Amino acid sequence: MSVQAASLPVTASPRKRRFRLRPSRIVLNVVLAAVAIFWLVPAIGIAIISLRPNASFEQSGWWTVLTAPAQLTFNNYQQLFSAGFKPGGVLDSLTTSIAITVPVTILVTVISSLTAYSLVFGRWRGRTLVFLLIVAMLVLPLQMALIPIASLYKVFDTSTGLHLFGSLIGAIIFHVAFGLPFGIFLMRNFYSGIPHDLLEAGRIDGAGEWTLFRKVVMPIGIPALASLAIFQFIWVWNDLLVALIFLGNSSHITLTMYLYSWTRALSSNYWIISTGAMISIIIPLIVFFAFQRYFVRGVLAGAVK
Amino acid sequence: MAGVVLEDLTKRYDGGALAVNKLNLDIRDGEFVCLVGPSGCGKTTALRMIAGLEEITSGEVRIGDRVVNNLPPRDRDIAMVFQSYALYPHMSVRDNMAFGLELRKTPKAQIDKAVVDAARILDLERFLDRKPGQLSGGQRQRVALGRAIVREPAVFLMDEPLSNLDAKLRVQTRAEIARMHTRLEATMIYVTHDQVEAMTMGDRIAVINEGVLQQAGTPKDLYELPQNRFVAGFIGSPSMNFIDLKVSQDGGVVRLTGEGAEMRPDDTESALLRDLGLDSVTVGFRPEHLDLATLSGPGLSVTVVVDVVEFLGNDELIHGSSEGRDVVAIINADNTLKVGQSVTLAAPSRRLHLFNPATGLRVAEDGASTTGGVANRVTTG
Repeated sequence: MSVQAASLPVTASPRKRRFRLRPSRIVLNVVLAAVAIFWLVPAIGIAIISLRPNASFEQSGWWTVLTAPAQLTFNNYQQLFSAGFKPGGVLDSLTTSIAITVPVTILVTVISSLTAYSLVFGRWRGRTLVFLLIVAMLVLPLQMALIPIASLYKVFDTSTGLHLFGSLIGAIIFHVAFGLPFGIFLMRNFYSGIPHDLLEAGRIDGAGEWTLFRKVVMPIGIPALASLAIFQFIWVWNDLLVALIFLGNSSHITLTMYLYSWTRALSSNYWIISTGAMISIIIPLIVFFAFQRYFVRGVLAGAVK
Repeated sequence: MAGVVLEDLTKRYDGGALAVNKLNLDIRDGEFVCLVGPSGCGKTTALRMIAGLEEITSGEVRIGDRVVNNLPPRDRDIAMVFQSYALYPHMSVRDNMAFGLELRKTPKAQIDKAVVDAARILDLERFLDRKPGQLSGGQRQRVALGRAIVREPAVFLMDEPLSNLDAKLRVQTRAEIARMHTRLEATMIYVTHDQVEAMTMGDRIAVINEGVLQQAGTPKDLYELPQNRFVAGFIGSPSMNFIDLKVSQDGGVVRLTGEGAEMRPDDTESALLRDLGLDSVTVGFRPEHLDLATLSGPGLSVTVVVDVVEFLGNDELIHGSSEGRDVVAIINADNTLKVGQSVTLAAPSRRLHLFNPATGLRVAEDGASTTGGVANRVTTG
């Protein structure tokens, strides 16, 4: 092949060169393929287990499906879904997870975005100090705050007669509070890169602060907002600890709690866990693919010189 | 359209730095005024105070009949073109230009017409549906101009709009802005650090240094009658030469000598120097007014050793030194000077500018240079 390429006229060589496999590229591709397989094999294994009859789990390994694809069935899914939306069932857990994760993601994204706007473009004293305090909160371990805040909720519930502890609202508030420092940090850093001239041009054009936020800053900040939304969604979706503390006594549990409830020290129901895990993966995947198109580089191109 | 009046306009930042100090300027309706000065002189701060983007420490800004000190930018009826273009990157050219009108709830048909008209003027019709990122620097700057035009504001403010363009585009866009001013008959305030830009575009120029207005006048005024040494040195390219001469009297005849130069003052200058009783005087003379000649009447002659000769085509730019003082001259290229050659250059008396070395002010017939500060001596209208 190299002989053929060498005999080609000079003008044709760039086109050909694109298809030539250099040794460094081969090594890179092999490494990338190895990493991809390393990450994909467990996920493929879970997917296959969820599609095999539950009795076959103890008889043969999931990889045997490669030689006998006929074993695959949707029975496990049918069985899990047959309970409907009964509290404690997989569909109820899925709904509960969505009911917590979606509002938390929206609230964290919106509040972080607004706060970051004020921190970057506002004209009030002490902005830097407030930002430093927010950054300081990033180092606060979530585990350290769980029990004090749970106690605080109980005091609040006792004094007001409301029901914050053990409710979805309580879990949402906790997640939002702990999601905001990172969200504000991320958005503030992104907005800092937006030239102030753009906002000043907007002010001269007649825009007020709200219009500037909505029509100038937010559209430019979409890549950062999409990143934040994905991170936040996945963190809350995969959370078990907060859910266990704040929803431990609730009849509605999250998907992670549902899966956890099926793990046993000696004999776990792997078919339920793997089927539930697949259901649990699908939603974040949808979110990821829905937002990933907004990861567009160079969104500020042409704004300023 | 409206005029703009700045009265004792002052900007002091929180740290105490004085950016603009009691700026007084009366800009007439339809006038094109350039604020010019070196970087950090306060010209952009002054423009931003007019725009409402910078808080005013003291003084007054009037646009038309209204004092606008406390009005937000959107209520000042102004449009601004930024040095960095400041185009909305996520909007098309059309949307960029229409944004201001949409916010003002202008009917859609009217917006479309205004945008298309502005695009036609600026030759942007083909690019209306493109995003700023898909345009060249010159096209982006034209979009920024278009965004200002469609609003039909009372006053256009421009903050070094050409400084990001290459030399060729700068000349083209300069002409475009000049044409735009003629067509719209609008009041324009244009900030630049480039005196050539100011000289070629402005009906009047206001020269600012260290926050203080040095002089305001027509380009010809500033070139021919600079009120102080700063303006004399800032306006004109290459810059004016300065030489310090000792003043002496010999039987009533005034003589000025020093730094390898000699000046024979005319009768008016002699009388003036006698009256002021100055020991020394700074003489300013422009490179283009020097010639290879011996002095026959009143004027200045200076002997220089040629250091560098730059060929400009019709002329040669001569860099030389006279007893350690740099002297630049533009002379006809037919005179083939060589590096290291010693030549005598002369300028007639009417091309010389005398400055008080202590104050830097022009030595004027009314004796104004010897008293008062620079700010009180400027021409503002």
